[in-house]
Amino acid sequence: MKPFHTLHILNKRPGHPGFKSCLSCLESRDALLLTENGVLALADKGLTLEGAVYALSADLVARAIPEDASIANVIDYDEMVALTIRANRVISW
Amino acid sequence: MKTLVIINQAPYGNWSGREALDMALSLAAFDQPATLLFTSDGVNWLRKDQQAAAISQKSVDRNLAAASIFGVSELLADHQSCHRFGLDDHTMIEGITLANINADFLRAYGHVISLS
Repeated sequence: MKPFHTLHILNKRPGHPGFKSCLSCLESRDALLLTENGVLALADKGLTLEGAVYALSADLVARAIPEDASIANVIDYDEMVALTIRANRVISW
Repeated sequence: MKTLVIINQAPYGNWSGREALDMALSLAAFDQPATLLFTSDGVNWLRKDQQAAAISQKSVDRNLAAASIFGVSELLADHQSCHRFGLDDHTMIEGITLANINADFLRAYGHVISLS
């Protein structure tokens, strides 16, 4: 598995100022993992997410957000742990 | 005098939405006319088939079902916000009326409450 430079774990809702801050810091070798209210980004038509995007399944199911594979790779908690190991550094926003 | 309680935050991330809902239910229980308005990220409260057990919480759509029992007169959702989050008749719980928020709309309410 190819390593990432930075894994950005984003748990803020799309309207939160921290959400924008996180997206503005994404680089091409990074990955974005949406958790908690961050997964609302998959339903937000005003947003386009690029690059390696992951979303936590439990948070999608809880909020009844469709698991849209064209926007994000949907992963479970075990895969989340594996993802953190692939990253040189992790930023929790 | 009618009270409008606004929920503008997504469910599960914090308690402000549940507290706003409790406020509306309490008002209604004491025969004070109350209307709930969901707007911005708050419209995500209205999504059908939420399964919050996956994150060890209780689904908020069940709490909302109690609103009419308590006598909350109306459940409103901001039209634009619903569109933004892909919510329509198929993906939203029943009994929601779409509204456009503007000065005219707010004039009908003697009190307007928004917790953040």
